[in-house]
Amino acid sequence: MYDFDWSSIPGALPFLWEGMKISLEITVSAVIFGVVWGTLLAMMRLAPVKPLAWFAAGYVNLFRSIPLVMVLLWFFLIVPQLLRSFFNLDPNTDVRLTSAMIGFALFESAYYSEIIRAGIQSVPKGQVAAASALGMTYAQAMRLVVLPQAFRNMVPLLLTQAIVLFQDTSLVYMSALADFFGAAYKVGDRDGRLVELLLFAGAVYFFICFAASQLVRRYQKKLNAHVAH
Amino acid sequence: MNYQWNWGIFLSPAASGDSTYLGWMLSGLQTTVLLSLSAWLIALALGSLMGVLRTVPNKWLSGLASAYVEIFRNIPLLVQLFIWYFVLPELLPASLGDAFKQKLDPVTQQFVSAMVCLGFFTSARVCEQVRSGINSLPRGQKNAGLALGFTLPQTYRHVLLPMAFRLVVPPLTSEFLNIFKNSAVCSTIGLLELAAQGRQLVDYTAQPYESFIAVTLLYVLINVVVMTLMRHLENKTRVPGYLGGK
Amino acid sequence: MISIDNVSKHYGSFQVLTDCTTQVKKGEVIVVCGPSGSGKSTLIKCVNGLEPFQSGSIIVDGISVGDPKTKLSKLRSRVGMVFQHFELFPHMSITDNLSIAQEKVLGRNRDEARAKGLKLLERVGLKAHAEKFPGQLSGGQQQRVAIARALCMDPICMLFDEPTSALDPEMINEVLDVMVELAQEGMTMMCVTHEMGFARKVANRVIFMDKGQIVEDDSKDAFFGAPRSERARQFLAKILQH
Repeated sequence: MYDFDWSSIPGALPFLWEGMKISLEITVSAVIFGVVWGTLLAMMRLAPVKPLAWFAAGYVNLFRSIPLVMVLLWFFLIVPQLLRSFFNLDPNTDVRLTSAMIGFALFESAYYSEIIRAGIQSVPKGQVAAASALGMTYAQAMRLVVLPQAFRNMVPLLLTQAIVLFQDTSLVYMSALADFFGAAYKVGDRDGRLVELLLFAGAVYFFICFAASQLVRRYQKKLNAHVAH
Repeated sequence: MNYQWNWGIFLSPAASGDSTYLGWMLSGLQTTVLLSLSAWLIALALGSLMGVLRTVPNKWLSGLASAYVEIFRNIPLLVQLFIWYFVLPELLPASLGDAFKQKLDPVTQQFVSAMVCLGFFTSARVCEQVRSGINSLPRGQKNAGLALGFTLPQTYRHVLLPMAFRLVVPPLTSEFLNIFKNSAVCSTIGLLELAAQGRQLVDYTAQPYESFIAVTLLYVLINVVVMTLMRHLENKTRVPGYLGGK
Repeated sequence: MISIDNVSKHYGSFQVLTDCTTQVKKGEVIVVCGPSGSGKSTLIKCVNGLEPFQSGSIIVDGISVGDPKTKLSKLRSRVGMVFQHFELFPHMSITDNLSIAQEKVLGRNRDEARAKGLKLLERVGLKAHAEKFPGQLSGGQQQRVAIARALCMDPICMLFDEPTSALDPEMINEVLDVMVELAQEGMTMMCVTHEMGFARKVANRVIFMDKGQIVEDDSKDAFFGAPRSERARQFLAKILQH
């Protein structure tokens, strides 16, 4: 039977915490950027201007049909060189975190855009008609009437997607950037305690994601009860 | 920027000597497809079983299935993969673990771990789709089956599942697509599937754009093929007079 | 044939049925009515064990429904049931809907089951629709198929759970006609329904339920002539207004 030895974890906690901060930083920036860019994409896709709709549909479908790993490879191996040659950066500047953030944000916005589009479409058409009848422009109707209603219904889905995104950030391990998972792997590798560190990382992710998804579920229930009355 | 495009690179002999770089790409594609399909079979079988268990009246069984789903849904795929590949062989009884590590060649080890990992990971998602399919059927359907004298398993087999599976073809399509995309994660344990071959090409040829564009297009192609097949299946299983049927 | 004795049922602290007692003899037609939420559907579902109950007993043809040793599926195969929303199986043709339980539960062979199904389909006037799917039929037609499906099992009695309340008004009569015919042939029937015309025509007794209790259990003449309780009077007045 395997002899467990968890002793390398306590001393590594500060290092692991640094990693967790990177994971959270990527998650939060990708969620914010993803929701903003995703909303724009969704509105483009529903807009009456054909080229805009085509662009948005192409963007969303492209990003949804390729693996996140592939997108990240582009952003780890190719984009940094582009950035360097574009901005004449010192070849030693570390742009890995920035390109990871951009990669995740661009990828996730495709998924956010689909959630938001469904949310906008779930608002009855009569609402836009009513807003126009009051003299609002299309943009005003969207901003003041449709989007507030759509977002309220979408919040649970957006949060669930954020939990998925948080799990996906573990993939920056590929760029040797020490996010939480990368840090855990490094410690395990260094101390020859990979088994313990991988199990520990799994447990931490599980605890965070499970707790977060229970909160989302509770929020969803509250929302449903609110709508029912 | 002065990048030298060279699409002919795919036809030049690869560093391994026995094939061209195009050959590398195709063998990566083959591994991706094989891996995804075999993992999909595991996911469908396990996921359906768990999905049924989640809807049965027995609290223990449904609780067990729901714990299963939570575990596989709340740990990142990459972490699960590393646990299957690095941790599990250590925890198995010594004879079994050693057999896995020493008797099997590394490629088979990687493939088996990746297949089982993707299969279990996806089964939790399939389970949730099957469950919601069963729950979306009118409650009376189960009663109607029971009232005719079917036992509960017979009611599932003849009444609930045939209809539930038809309802979940569209959501299952997106899980099926996901399994192809998720299989790219398996490049991290050294499995030479499509994404890994693309990366390897970059290292060997210094033609990163050609390689990545080719791999990206191949993933898009897989996507299109799967969607076409699933749409065909959807049309074939459509029930006349029901839910947009003819 | 059916003997219900002191049956009570509750969901948590909510009492659904309280001490319900009644008997149905062979060949009798009983109509069960009452306001919505009065427990009438629950009572009828207790008879074939679709709803469990906590106390009292129900005996159907000498077999106790509440006994954990009773093989409920065997009992149910002999008790026909028709549902409010028809509950035909949407993924099967009409023929398959009629024969699946004959084959899988009674073990009849395919040809025998299909022949029996067609015979009963003819009886409810829908032979021409044998190869269609449920979704392609009207509500009234679906309900007639559902009655035929139950009859295919050669039931010793039939339970009807609001068979016409999900139907458009113009389709109600085609279903009631089939039920009247069945009653006149001597089928033992327990029907939850608000169709008082049907009750007047063929019922032997009418049971009136309110708040989970059997308030009246009387011959139809007595019930329609002079209901004993105020609640039944109010109910009848409301129903007859339409």
